[in-house]
Amino acid sequence: MSYVAEGYNSFETKKTPSGVVKFLPDPKSVLSLIQSGKLKEHILLVQGGTTTFLAPALSMGAIGIITMSGVPESHLGILSREFQMPCVMTAYLVGSDSRYVTGGNNDAHFEAIIKALDGKKVRLHCEDRETGRVALIS
Amino acid sequence: MSTYKQRYEAGDNGLRFQDLVYQGNFKGMDPVPDGILGDKIMRSRAKSKVLEKVSREDVLRDQFTVDELNDLNNYLAWNIWDVLVMRATEGVSGMIPRQEYEILAFMQEFYRWPEILQMTTDEIGAKGVMDIGASARREIGTKVNCVHDWCIGAVGFGMGRCGLLALEAIQPQDFVRESNTILKFMQRVLWGKRQDGYILNSQDRYRCQIHDQDVIEKLSGELEYFEYGSEKHDAFVRFNASAELLSFLDHYDCRLGLGDTGPYPLGEGRIMIIRDLFTNEDVYDWSDVCDHEKVPHCYSLCLVIDVEKMGLDEIRVNDISTTFTRPKNYIEYIVGGAVFVREKWDTPMGEVYPVKVADLDKRLEGIQQATLKLYSKFSKMPRRTLITNGMYVYYIDMILPHLRLAGTYEKACKDYEFWEVDQRVANYYYDIVKRGFAQATVPQKIFSGEGYLPFPDNVSLNRSKYFWK
Repeated sequence: MSYVAEGYNSFETKKTPSGVVKFLPDPKSVLSLIQSGKLKEHILLVQGGTTTFLAPALSMGAIGIITMSGVPESHLGILSREFQMPCVMTAYLVGSDSRYVTGGNNDAHFEAIIKALDGKKVRLHCEDRETGRVALIS
Repeated sequence: MSTYKQRYEAGDNGLRFQDLVYQGNFKGMDPVPDGILGDKIMRSRAKSKVLEKVSREDVLRDQFTVDELNDLNNYLAWNIWDVLVMRATEGVSGMIPRQEYEILAFMQEFYRWPEILQMTTDEIGAKGVMDIGASARREIGTKVNCVHDWCIGAVGFGMGRCGLLALEAIQPQDFVRESNTILKFMQRVLWGKRQDGYILNSQDRYRCQIHDQDVIEKLSGELEYFEYGSEKHDAFVRFNASAELLSFLDHYDCRLGLGDTGPYPLGEGRIMIIRDLFTNEDVYDWSDVCDHEKVPHCYSLCLVIDVEKMGLDEIRVNDISTTFTRPKNYIEYIVGGAVFVREKWDTPMGEVYPVKVADLDKRLEGIQQATLKLYSKFSKMPRRTLITNGMYVYYIDMILPHLRLAGTYEKACKDYEFWEVDQRVANYYYDIVKRGFAQATVPQKIFSGEGYLPFPDNVSLNRSKYFWK
């Protein structure tokens, strides 16, 4: 199986959720997704590793998350584990050398990941203790 | 097969939870790792005995010496790094400007807390402060807990002083007397709570076994047992996660909303974690949505984990009240649980009541609705309001439980303008967004432990700060 992205694995699980990646840029988009009733059709892509931004999505049963910063010790990492919601954190594209830099200007890095993943159907693989992986389905 | 008990043997150095290492003020010496080994190294480098088990008389003494202050400063800097360095990677929230409100709160605390904590100590005496800590041994649903008590010193003194040094607002020799006041208050509360001579969980191989045995027995009498994948397991886990999420949200994405203690051995290869989830804090005006959904002040959960099935290698209940394990996923191995309700912060222990797992659904609905309403409310708030509110969560809440029990909260509000923002901090609001101070300097100086400069060796313990330039 070929993986398009990988990152820290929030927790090890046999769950392999799949869905169309939806990038959520702001709270309004989170609320729109909840109201659409299609939350469970999507793997959520977010920039930060904090938990409040995704609060209603977590509460209403999101199936999987990809973040572009943060680690399993971050609040979102903790909550994804408590909800047993697979979560790949500080994801980077496997075919790229670009990596997230703490406190740096990561705009180009984020844009490249959003461009590569948003709207694509993927499956999360989080069996490994340390690394979570994102596979393209189609 | 679990190996976690080996972590409690004197010669054991624990596991490493991260690859990074700490340098702090020990340039030219070997870097320090996380965990049990890190604690050992940091204590071996101390000049005084303040990081070893100390006596009641030591704690009642009026002041720390300069060596003790510096040892505490260095140890807290490592401890902060140990629990938070990885958090520095989490980036912006997209919802709540946490880095911004945090740094303002750190500095506000360092300026304002000393006189309020001194007033409280004057009102109830040093022994009274220790009694506040001791009260946590017989209560659940109390915010006199690891994270609040740790924050007094680690955040108010450590991060506050570090932030002001980084902003070049103060010098290392400034505010010695005030630093002493903050750290003494922290030591007294934590010592009173633990009563084993230590003050921090990291000194005790990350254990926080503070509750008296009869309290543990009373709580465990309400436990319900279940299997992974059963309806009860799912309901319990879902409730735990949802209540925890609301606790984070009500406290502006910070950990003041939750508090773990333990692990308490139950026998038969099981341990118990007691988790307080503060879902409704009534000093916050935004908590009105929690009132509307009839969400109580606190849900306290007992989580029973089958350590043998899990193959537990290490468990850390760290000083910010959060449990981390290796392997990381303990949820699948929760085989029992109980839920208790404390309606208000001052509800007597005798009126705290259990809720059966089968009856959690209705309460879960209230939690979910409160979460959605709170999120909707925050999403409409201007950035300045979010930062101000977040600053209050840190600055007020971190010492609120201690002032409440001391009976000095009203006096602090009335006579000391507790809820007012210091003009210097109000002015820093504009400085912290320049040159990436909140986004880059703070993570580098505060979470990586670089900015905790020591007090000069010969500094006077009476030194404050009178000259501003």
